[in-house]
Amino acid sequence: MTPELAARVVGGLKAAGIDFVAYLPESRLIEMLPLLERDEAFTVVCASHEGTAVSIACGAALVGRRPMVYMEASGLFLSLYNVLSVGVRCGLPLLLVVSHTGSTGDRLNSATFAGYGARTTAVLDGIRIPYQVVDAGDRIEERIADVARAASAAKSPACLLLTGEFTATAEGQTA
Amino acid sequence: MKRIECLRLLAPLVTDELVVTSLTGANWEWRYLTDHEGSMNVSSMGSGTAVGAGMALGLPRRRVIVLESDGSSLMDLSCLATLATYQPPNLKVFVFDNEMYSGSRISHRSPTGVRTSLEGIARGAGIEHAVTVRDVAAFEREARLALAEPGLRYVVVKVEEDPDARKLPKPTVDYLENKYRFVRYIERTEGQVIFPTLR
Repeated sequence: MTPELAARVVGGLKAAGIDFVAYLPESRLIEMLPLLERDEAFTVVCASHEGTAVSIACGAALVGRRPMVYMEASGLFLSLYNVLSVGVRCGLPLLLVVSHTGSTGDRLNSATFAGYGARTTAVLDGIRIPYQVVDAGDRIEERIADVARAASAAKSPACLLLTGEFTATAEGQTA
Repeated sequence: MKRIECLRLLAPLVTDELVVTSLTGANWEWRYLTDHEGSMNVSSMGSGTAVGAGMALGLPRRRVIVLESDGSSLMDLSCLATLATYQPPNLKVFVFDNEMYSGSRISHRSPTGVRTSLEGIARGAGIEHAVTVRDVAAFEREARLALAEPGLRYVVVKVEEDPDARKLPKPTVDYLENKYRFVRYIERTEGQVIFPTLR
C-alpha cells in the first residue's frame, strides 16, 4: 500500500471511532502500522497468532473499546474459531481489516496465496460474516465507516477485504 | 486441593475486578459461588486469557482476573508471548491445572500430567511472575498479593480432578445475556456508554 493510501485508511479508521488494534504483521497493508503505532488515539497490540488477536480484540470490545483486527487472509482462516466462539457467540462488534491475499486483484499474488484468495469470501459467506471487498482507494473512508457501522449494528464481526490498489507497493512491485 | 476451595477463598476478595472464565469447570463453580456482575464467561477453550488480556489492555485502570484451565491454556500458548511483551500490570491469570481434559466424557490426561510445565512455558515466554502453588495457603497468599499489588501475575494452581463440579446446577444465563449484564456493569461503573440506545 502506498503511504498516501495508508494515511487515508488510518484516517478512516479513526473517523469510524476505531481506537484499539490487535494485529499480526503482513505484507500488503503494513504501511499503516507505523501510523497506527504513532497515533495516541489507538491502543495497538501485536499478537503472535491471529486467533489470539481476535480474542484480545473481543476483550477490548467488552470493556467499551472500538476494536479492529488487522491480518491477512491466511490469518483470517486461522482465527475463524475465535471469530465464531467469542465474537459471534457473544455478539461483539469487531472490525476485521484483512488483506485479501490471493484474490484476483492481489498484485502480489502467487502460488503461496492463491489458494486462500479463491476461498475467502466463500468462507465468510458460509459463516455469515458481513463483508465488503474494496479494490480502489477512492471513498475508502466511507467503506471503512460502512463496515464498522455494520459490525456495530449487528453486534458481530464484520470484515473489510482490501485488494487491488491496496496491495500495490509504492515501488510498483508485483509478484 | 480442590479448585472450588480456592474459588471459595477468591470470591469474597473480589470487589470491582473483572473476572473472565473459560471453558472449564471453574466457570460453573465461580457462578455457583458468586453473582458478581463483572464476571464474563466466554467458554471458548483457548480464549480466556486472550480475552482477559484485551480487557486489561483496553481498560488499564481495572484489575482483570482470568480463571483458566490447563487444557484451555495449552490451546493458545502464543498468548503468553503477547502477555510478556505488553506486561499488563492489571492482569492476573490463575490456571487451575488438574492435569486432565476433564470436560471430555471420559477424562484424559493432559500434557501437564506428563512432562509439560505451564509455569516453565510462561517463564520462557518472558513472564517474570509465573509461579506454581500446590496448597490452599499458597493459593490464598498469591490471590491476596495479586489483588493488592500491581504487576502481571501468572499463577498455576495444581488441583485434583473434582467430578463434583459436574453436579453443580448449570447456569441459566446464556452468553448474550452474560455479555449484556457484564457490559451494563462496565457502563455503570465506568460512566460510559458501550451499547447505545436503539434507534
